[in-house]
Amino acid sequence: MRLAPTQAAVLEAASATEDRTIERLAEELGEKPETVTGAVFALEEEGLLDVSEEEIEGVSLTEEGETYVEMGLPERRLYETALELDADEEPVSMGEVIGRSGLEGSEVDIALSNYARKGYGEIDSGELSATAGREEDEEADALALIAAEEPVTDESVLDDLTRRDLVARRESTVRSVTVTEEGVTALMEGIEESETVGQITPELLTTGEWEAVEFAEYNVEADAAEVVGGKKHVLRQTADRVKDVLVGMGFEEMDGPHVDSEFWINDALFMPQDHPARTHWDQFALEKPEEMDNLPEDLLDRVRSAHLEGVGEDGEGYHSPWTEEVARGMDLRGHTTSLSMRYLSGEAVGDLEPPQRYFSVEKVYRNDTLDPTHLLEFFQIEGWVMAEDLSVRDLKGTFTEFYERFGITDLQFKPHYNPYTEPSFELFGHHPETGELIEIGNSGMFRPEVLEPLGVECDVMAWGLALERLAMLITGAEDIRDLHGTLADIEFLRNAEVIY
Amino acid sequence: MPVVDIDPDELRQLTGTERDDDRLKDDLFGLGLEYEGETEDGDLQFEFAPDRLDRLSVEGVARSLRYHYGEDRGTYVPPTNDADWTIEVEDSVPDERPYVTGAVVRGIDLDEKGLDSLIQLQEKLHATMGRKRAKGAIGIHDLTMLKGESVSEEGGPSIRYTGVDPDGPRFVPLDSDAELTPAEVLEEHPTGREYADLVSEYERYPAIYDELGLFSFPPVINGRRTEVSTDSRELFVELTGTDQWTIDKMCAIVCYALSARGATIEEVEVEYPDRTLLRPDFEIREKRVSHERIEGMLGMEFDPETVIDCFERAGLSATQVLGEETAYDVEVPPYRVDVLHPVDLIDDVGRAYGFDGLIPKYPEVSTVGARHERTRLEDAARNVLVGLGFEDTLNFHLINEAENYERLRVTPGEGVLGAGDPATIREPYSEDYTMVRTWALPSLVMVLENNTHRSYPQNLAEVGFAAELDDSTETGVRERRTVAGVLARTDASYEDAKGVLQALARNFEVDLETPPTEHPTFIDGRAASVVIDGQPAGVVGEIHPEVLVEHDLELPVAAFEFRLDTLE
Repeated sequence: MRLAPTQAAVLEAASATEDRTIERLAEELGEKPETVTGAVFALEEEGLLDVSEEEIEGVSLTEEGETYVEMGLPERRLYETALELDADEEPVSMGEVIGRSGLEGSEVDIALSNYARKGYGEIDSGELSATAGREEDEEADALALIAAEEPVTDESVLDDLTRRDLVARRESTVRSVTVTEEGVTALMEGIEESETVGQITPELLTTGEWEAVEFAEYNVEADAAEVVGGKKHVLRQTADRVKDVLVGMGFEEMDGPHVDSEFWINDALFMPQDHPARTHWDQFALEKPEEMDNLPEDLLDRVRSAHLEGVGEDGEGYHSPWTEEVARGMDLRGHTTSLSMRYLSGEAVGDLEPPQRYFSVEKVYRNDTLDPTHLLEFFQIEGWVMAEDLSVRDLKGTFTEFYERFGITDLQFKPHYNPYTEPSFELFGHHPETGELIEIGNSGMFRPEVLEPLGVECDVMAWGLALERLAMLITGAEDIRDLHGTLADIEFLRNAEVIY
Repeated sequence: MPVVDIDPDELRQLTGTERDDDRLKDDLFGLGLEYEGETEDGDLQFEFAPDRLDRLSVEGVARSLRYHYGEDRGTYVPPTNDADWTIEVEDSVPDERPYVTGAVVRGIDLDEKGLDSLIQLQEKLHATMGRKRAKGAIGIHDLTMLKGESVSEEGGPSIRYTGVDPDGPRFVPLDSDAELTPAEVLEEHPTGREYADLVSEYERYPAIYDELGLFSFPPVINGRRTEVSTDSRELFVELTGTDQWTIDKMCAIVCYALSARGATIEEVEVEYPDRTLLRPDFEIREKRVSHERIEGMLGMEFDPETVIDCFERAGLSATQVLGEETAYDVEVPPYRVDVLHPVDLIDDVGRAYGFDGLIPKYPEVSTVGARHERTRLEDAARNVLVGLGFEDTLNFHLINEAENYERLRVTPGEGVLGAGDPATIREPYSEDYTMVRTWALPSLVMVLENNTHRSYPQNLAEVGFAAELDDSTETGVRERRTVAGVLARTDASYEDAKGVLQALARNFEVDLETPPTEHPTFIDGRAASVVIDGQPAGVVGEIHPEVLVEHDLELPVAAFEFRLDTLE
């Protein structure tokens, strides 16, 4: 019979008359127990060995137990100190004994509570007496035996030590083997060792030798060494997902400047120039470049007029000052609606005829305080639909469709106010995991004061949402700063779950 | 967003309802007021969007609820009595704050709650429409403490809005016992210090006088003499500001609230040198809304009765105009500062009807979707780098000068990659974020710096944004996408970085050359220019030990950065 070398050795080391444990075989053969276990099971399969299992209870020291083996049990240390102070003759102050014993923190309580239990003496009104001649401590002896891997027979001591969390009990399975009759026969007929091979080599393959060899068995369950590969950033993956959905819904992607004039960022959006959100408390105004001097003149006039006079027969403007100087000021865009304005005006890609759908997933900047849910820079998902005769129902239909792709199936529309849309809605949905109702977007139909100056004669509905918000929802991340920025934890990025 | 504090019992009383707190919260949510929590005094706090500023106090919220419940219908204007008092506007009024308005309120009986509500309304109007008092400020006085000067022949009492020498008149301001000049108020009084910026540049300070002297120093503080208490039965409301319309609207909102508490509003004549106004301005504006537009915007058919019912439940009176196309003439009450265009009234119809009743439908228009070429190119580069084992990072575009230049040994303007002039933030809050990064390598080196406790190798890349000043562009800034990578491990060398560039060049079928160059971030003799298809595109090399040590790195780092568009 041909057997792999380990199997052959195990079979020869085993006995037909006596149970031998795998540990013992491993020791005899100088192999690892897991290697021998592998061979034993293979031999059992061949019918050459019988395997019996026995559940054995073992004990081991906890960390605290190990400490006491080294230092002595706290109550024992207290007792010994008490004897040094002759507390067997006359009670001494507890403070003195403790101070001298070197016991600290929780050890003091442990020592005191076990001191009396073990009859080392008495503690009364702050004084401590000691009973002379207590040389032995069963628990200490048992700990020492366990440390030396010797058996402890007294179950009650073991119970006490377990209660004190000084030892831990564990169950283990011990396997023993005996050679079967078939095995004996095989041994008598003689075992031939087959050659085993660790690695396939070109030579093995080309010579055809591979047919005659056995492959050494691996422990296929063991962990392999860590592999760290590269991965697309989790927020980029989320953005990809959003882009996929939007492209699938017929949206085309926009592109445009991060640094832009107030005109494109705020004035075209019909944000009054004295609106609180336009102060440098909320947006990043730039020192350099200072201003944009090539704004389209006609558009500038129409936007100014919308602000001051309103649009349409019954329209009114704002009662706020409006100057070209403010409109020319430069900002880091606080929203990507500046891109929508550039596209709708025809400045970006020429005049657009309805119907159109456009989107972007791009960075915006807000002068905020960094905290777990706020960043100075984040990605805004922006989208709009331009068509003749769009209604609030179309808006609800479009966004319901979008959010359903992300598992939010109960989208709620709360009437809201934005200077640039009417009607406007905040979008709410339940977190797919926590069930919490959270705001997940802001939407509306662009006002005539926005569209008319841009020369758009049909309806446009739009919405915006922070990508990070969606990502936190999808990934369960709790601190946005782990995701985004130079404080990023590489380990977090390496381990982040992929998004698809 | 504004928050209004409401005593639920007062709300029930003013609304005339028995509904419990939970029911009220639900109804208010439907009106756009979101329950935020309770104050220490047990008032309920609601947050709402800053359009309906008439809801900044319990009286206005109660009015909205009465309309919502159908207790009231249509546009309401409180009755007013004829003017007795006059506000005389003098030429000396500072040019920066020329406008004034006001009203007299009689027969008011305020308890502590009522007085708190009035003060709250005043403060919240200051914070919103009043733009922190800069655009409009309200002063409310006990009328019985005023002694009118007699200016007209009919003998009506008057007060004067005037401009005074900052160091001139003395008066005792609220919450003080000392007689102070306006200039002293700005220096010594806490409220004065808070609002000093509003007037400190003025040559003459705004002031309001009666026969006894200065009793109001708008927009900063009132005098103590005319302080309103729960014993006050008659009030004088005055507002000053930079825009007549704004202060008139703020005045109207205050008058509506006091009227809701049973007060009688009495007109005041405002005499400017060249014209006389009768205030408060309770003028009703009329706007025409087309039926077709309502149906189009809400996406469903309505009969005119339903539309008119919705208007009335929104607190608006509407009459149907019969003509070629059906329309409505809608009367907008003076407190509705948010209504600029008929579209705002369509929104009111939608809210009254209930937007929840509009069934979602997917728009029946078809368009073709597509990614932008720029982001597709970014993604392609990112994917190749990830395939080469790089962790893709995403870093802030904002940075400061030290991180962007000095810590990488770069001097701004020296003509190497990264040395471009930056777009800078005006009055930055944080010294960490003062400019837009001119290159991405500093961000990657910072990520390495923050991750020295993590396992190596650390191969990081970013395909991202960088910008520098450039007069020849539309915005004055040249924005570009940049490809940057760092390889940090114990045996990282120039060759590793160059190998990555070669792989990229192969993948994008471009020609790569790396002639030697000098760049302060890199070790001399181990840095090269990245030249793609003959154009200089960036730099590659081994990072200078001084930069490594500066960033607490204890192993070599090879790095590269170049313009993404060269891969096109």
